[in-house]
Amino acid sequence: MEPAKQRKIIHVDMDAFYASVEQLDNPGLKGKPIAVGGSSQRGVVAAASYEARKFGVKSAMSSVIAKRNCPELIFVKPRFDRYREISNRIRNIFFEYTDLVEPLSLDEAYLDVTENKKGNPSASLIAKEIRQKILDKTGLTASAGISINKFIAKVASDYNKPNGQKTVNPEEVPEFLEALEIRKFYGVGKVTAEKMYRLGIFTGKNLKEKSREFLDEHFGKSGEYYYQVVRGIHLSEVKPSRIRKSLGAERTFEENISSEVFMLERLENISEEIERRLTKSKVAGKTVTLKIKYSDFTLQTRSKTLDYYISSKGLILETAKKLLYQEKMKNSVRLLGISLSNLNTEKPDEKEEKKEIAVQLKFDF
Amino acid sequence: MKFIVSSTYLLKQLQILGGVINNNNTLPILDNFLFELNNDELTVSASDLETTMSAKLQVESDSEGKIAVPARLLLDTLKTFPEQPLTFVVEDNNTIELSSNHGKYALAYAGGEEFPKAVSLEEPSSTKIQGDVLATAISKTIFASGNDDLRPVMSGVFFQFTPQNLTFVATDAHKLVKYSRDDISASENAEFIMPKKPLNLLKGILSGSDSEVLIEYNESNARFTFEDTTLVCRLIDGKYPNYEAVIPKENPNKLVIDRGQFLSSVKRVSIFSNKTTHQVRLKIAGAELNISAEDVDYSNKAEERLTCSYQGDDMQIGFNSRFLTEMLTNLNANEVQLEMSLPNRAGILTPVDGLDEGEKVTMLVMPVMLNN
Repeated sequence: MEPAKQRKIIHVDMDAFYASVEQLDNPGLKGKPIAVGGSSQRGVVAAASYEARKFGVKSAMSSVIAKRNCPELIFVKPRFDRYREISNRIRNIFFEYTDLVEPLSLDEAYLDVTENKKGNPSASLIAKEIRQKILDKTGLTASAGISINKFIAKVASDYNKPNGQKTVNPEEVPEFLEALEIRKFYGVGKVTAEKMYRLGIFTGKNLKEKSREFLDEHFGKSGEYYYQVVRGIHLSEVKPSRIRKSLGAERTFEENISSEVFMLERLENISEEIERRLTKSKVAGKTVTLKIKYSDFTLQTRSKTLDYYISSKGLILETAKKLLYQEKMKNSVRLLGISLSNLNTEKPDEKEEKKEIAVQLKFDF
Repeated sequence: MKFIVSSTYLLKQLQILGGVINNNNTLPILDNFLFELNNDELTVSASDLETTMSAKLQVESDSEGKIAVPARLLLDTLKTFPEQPLTFVVEDNNTIELSSNHGKYALAYAGGEEFPKAVSLEEPSSTKIQGDVLATAISKTIFASGNDDLRPVMSGVFFQFTPQNLTFVATDAHKLVKYSRDDISASENAEFIMPKKPLNLLKGILSGSDSEVLIEYNESNARFTFEDTTLVCRLIDGKYPNYEAVIPKENPNKLVIDRGQFLSSVKRVSIFSNKTTHQVRLKIAGAELNISAEDVDYSNKAEERLTCSYQGDDMQIGFNSRFLTEMLTNLNANEVQLEMSLPNRAGILTPVDGLDEGEKVTMLVMPVMLNN
């Protein structure tokens, strides 16, 4: 099942993107440990500068713990518009080389340079050029991973971070994967890693030794993925412009709340935020999902699909409200989130489907 | 059996009664008028089994009898006569002979016994209402009733009588009208669903009428009696939907606008709307109402701006222009108020002026969702 032609995939990952942008725009922050995110009791670090990482500050870490690890830490409020602006400039650099660019987020993207606009056969040189251009045009550094599929490219980009790159040539692939620590595999998180450890799997080599049946038995659907990926098979294509499947927002509260009246207030804010984002990306959706994280960290989702697309905060809030009152809260609530899916951007090839269908509503008799 | 009657007087009554008769009757006897003569009082009846209407006419006679006369034939003949006395004589050979100034006409009749009897109401409750008020109540509501055979209850008008007021409601699940009169009341609580056909007949007869209508009703039938006319009909069986529950309680967005201007804008703009949804879009910001419609299939588009007085958040809401047009046409106020909350909740249309003492009209219309 190997594709006819060996692909050349680059994974470009900006180095501490949000934090670097802040240091770039505010030279006073240069060389200092900074964290982008909220500094409040329940705030979370969205990104940390390399200076801060030395102290063990990581993204997704609670701000309180971060501050404890690094008392000098400077908190900066995120400015997503600015990040988006720079991200777009970087994306334009990618497009000079290929149209097959799949952005993963504002600071990461896959590029398929098997066929590229410059006719350069060396993906490693292209990666080098791209990184140089990013530095010239934005003053920011990037790391890159180059290999035969997205999986290996992504793992490789982490190898010589920051401001470095790593190429895994086709012949090096088996060795590279065998030597790879299991927790570095993309798609293996903390929980899976522990499970792997218990099964005696610590490296790619261990994983490769396991049979397909063994993996299926222990990891279900993901078994096939692990089995193939460790053999260098990852056929997922670089999909230009990922189609958004859902759009959501959530809030962790300063303090756990148990009164639904207070929750409503939060839902109103969240709905507002979603409306803003929907307007920006000009989409609407049919399915509203309410996410509730209780104080004991158990997660619950409730969703409702409407006959029509909605995009205004009033309607989102109304549906979310219904979901909120649908059932009693099991516990006090730590986090509430709303997401909208079944977006009208889906099925772009089915023109008929996409045609606007207005829905006459009925009384609820 | 013999009687003499004025031709135009008879025609007028028969035309009213003729409204009951269906075009295609499975029961041939229903194609007839029933004539019941009792000296100088002639009672004429027409029926479709569901509804039976009778009128008493004063004639010149001293005989008695009961026959069924072909309705179409008689009406067609009467229409051609100028005012004159007509003589009807029942002959032996099952015909009734009609003599005019012009000549003689023989109509075959059927026996009066074959004609179905109107149901008699046992232990009815009753209330009285002025004819014109009833006609108004009917015409304000009936247009909103539905035609869905699957929901027969919504194909009629709901009469809700209480010791405080009388309420009339009609809905087809998309629009709803509630018309109530606080100046009239019933002796006790009662609710029933009247079918459309007898209501249309009553509306026709009673509009502008000063006469008092006696409404009697029980579980399954209702009887309307006024002057010399009686209408008895079967009620629609079933439970009327809980309409109060769908009237939104909190409507922070209130629009007040000239009814005539609003109506003509909606009418004009709707010409450009999609031919299946008839959707017009109302966009309200500040004191401006923007009405627009678009038929994407044909690239037709229209937009109008009106000045209005508005309290609330800027909003956009879509409605079926046909419903809006019907509702606005049905009101006779100079200014109307449209209350809204969210684009997926009913809009409430009420007249600002032009109501009689004790009269109240509430119209609801469900939106058409704007899909973008």
